[in-house]
Amino acid sequence: MDMVLEADRLGKRYGSTWALRDCSLHLPAGRIAALVGPNGAGKSTLLHLAVGLLKPDAGAVRVFGRSPYGDTQGLADIGFVAQDTPLYRDFTAAELVFAGGKLNRRWDAALARTRLAQLGIPPDRPVGKLSGGQRAQVALALALAKQPRLLLLDEPVASLDPLARREFLQSLMGSVADSGTTVLLSSHLLADLERVCDYLIVLNAAQVQLAGAVDDLVAAHRQLVGPRHDGGVIGGVAAVVRASHTDRQSTLLVRTDGPVTDPAWTVRDVSLEDVVLAYLADGAVQTSHSEWGVAA
Amino acid sequence: MIWLTWRQHRKQAFYTLLGLAALAALLVPIGLSMRNTFSDLGLADCARQLADANVTAATRDTCDAGFRRFGNRYGSLNLVAVLLITLPALVGLFWGAPLVAREVEHGTHRFVWTQGVGRTRWALVKFGLVGGAVVVLAALYGLGMSWWVDPLTKAAHEGRLGMIVFDLQGIVPIGYTLFAVALGVFAGTVWKRMLPAMGITLAGYVGVRAAVEILARPRYQSARTQTFPIEGDGPPEVSRGRVSSGVNGTSSWTACTVSAPRRRSAVASTFPTSRSPCRIGNAK
Repeated sequence: MDMVLEADRLGKRYGSTWALRDCSLHLPAGRIAALVGPNGAGKSTLLHLAVGLLKPDAGAVRVFGRSPYGDTQGLADIGFVAQDTPLYRDFTAAELVFAGGKLNRRWDAALARTRLAQLGIPPDRPVGKLSGGQRAQVALALALAKQPRLLLLDEPVASLDPLARREFLQSLMGSVADSGTTVLLSSHLLADLERVCDYLIVLNAAQVQLAGAVDDLVAAHRQLVGPRHDGGVIGGVAAVVRASHTDRQSTLLVRTDGPVTDPAWTVRDVSLEDVVLAYLADGAVQTSHSEWGVAA
Repeated sequence: MIWLTWRQHRKQAFYTLLGLAALAALLVPIGLSMRNTFSDLGLADCARQLADANVTAATRDTCDAGFRRFGNRYGSLNLVAVLLITLPALVGLFWGAPLVAREVEHGTHRFVWTQGVGRTRWALVKFGLVGGAVVVLAALYGLGMSWWVDPLTKAAHEGRLGMIVFDLQGIVPIGYTLFAVALGVFAGTVWKRMLPAMGITLAGYVGVRAAVEILARPRYQSARTQTFPIEGDGPPEVSRGRVSSGVNGTSSWTACTVSAPRRRSAVASTFPTSRSPCRIGNAK
């Protein structure tokens, strides 16, 4: 399969803290991928590395087979909407579209204008005076006007109210559906992206916890409820992701590699959110225990 | 990219030009009246005559009185001149420091550096245009200042290389302004926030200026006075300093004083004959 974004043991360090470490992932072409993780997990760092704003301290990242850092030509294929949609606040939307034309060889100004007109965004008001939702739409229109093959969005909906969130994601999906653009969106809330993404990357504590197509991930995980479990092997279970116990009963979220036939266990299907939360909870607790210097 | 630079800085450029225009509106009338007074008092002739060694005592007294009157009236402007030295630092603060720091502080570098032109071209165009504009402004300023301080310098019996006036005119403001802007860009790139960058620019600029003034300049090679005979028509061979010889064809030899270039050197031009056979290249 064609890979758009590949990271190989990618690492980025700020001072002595690794913001991203040993991150290996492959994003196939044509996917709408969600990059989910709590605040500070390294999502922005990963996206900044992918768009060439940061230089890797370890490993390598390749976008369309090229290393993005310092690669001006490769930038033409990547659309990037940064966190909090930074734009020159004293520029009007029309001026930003014009500036984009000056800054890019490939630029579809008509597309940007049509989009902004449809969304009812005034062309002659400074974007600093627009609402957060409108500003996000301007930033998205500018990114789409580049006609990118890969669109990276860093927390695009974090600062929007629920209605604006839905409108933003709808308009995003509408515009990338036909073009076959690969999209990678990050968010700290899965709920924001669950409806639109078909691929999921879970990042926690600077490392990739989980990556794969949403359907595969849901199919490969099960919740087992049964007698108290003490770590023995269960047939059909590849790994226990998260376990919680009461005196007599254990609830496990497991990754399966076959059907679980043991009659002692009740097998339940899981939602995508259950899977993500299980992986996130795991990472968070480990780091915090080691940082506080107490036993887990 | 050029359009973007213009669009981003046009307001700033407007205020800078406004500031310069205000400065000109203030200084040009003063300069004109200063020049009028200077010529009304006949000080231009005085300056020439006083340079001559065997000037009469009467002329000297008249001229000194004239210079005193001029000094009483315009001497306080030397303080204004001191203030004007700070202008390059202001350009560094407001043009240099925010150039990169403002983009990073507002996060807009994530927008502009991910467009198709890339950040190398962004930097080249931006630094080139802002640097060019600053050079033009500084050149205008330097020329204007040369015109403005000229009477003050003459009245103070200081040359082009006198303290403070040296820093105000000619290419010196250009050099210092470019230095201040470069320092501002550097500070803004390293510290990434506008206010610290501006503070560091100011401190760095003042520090370097003070170091040059206090530590470096007094240690420049001092003036050397060499007196030697000239024989024949040809110019003498001098290793340092330029001597343009105006030797009178009939005289067999005459003495000539040469001084090596030096700032703030108050070398008296001692000519043995009234016809001043030698003109000294780089002295006052």
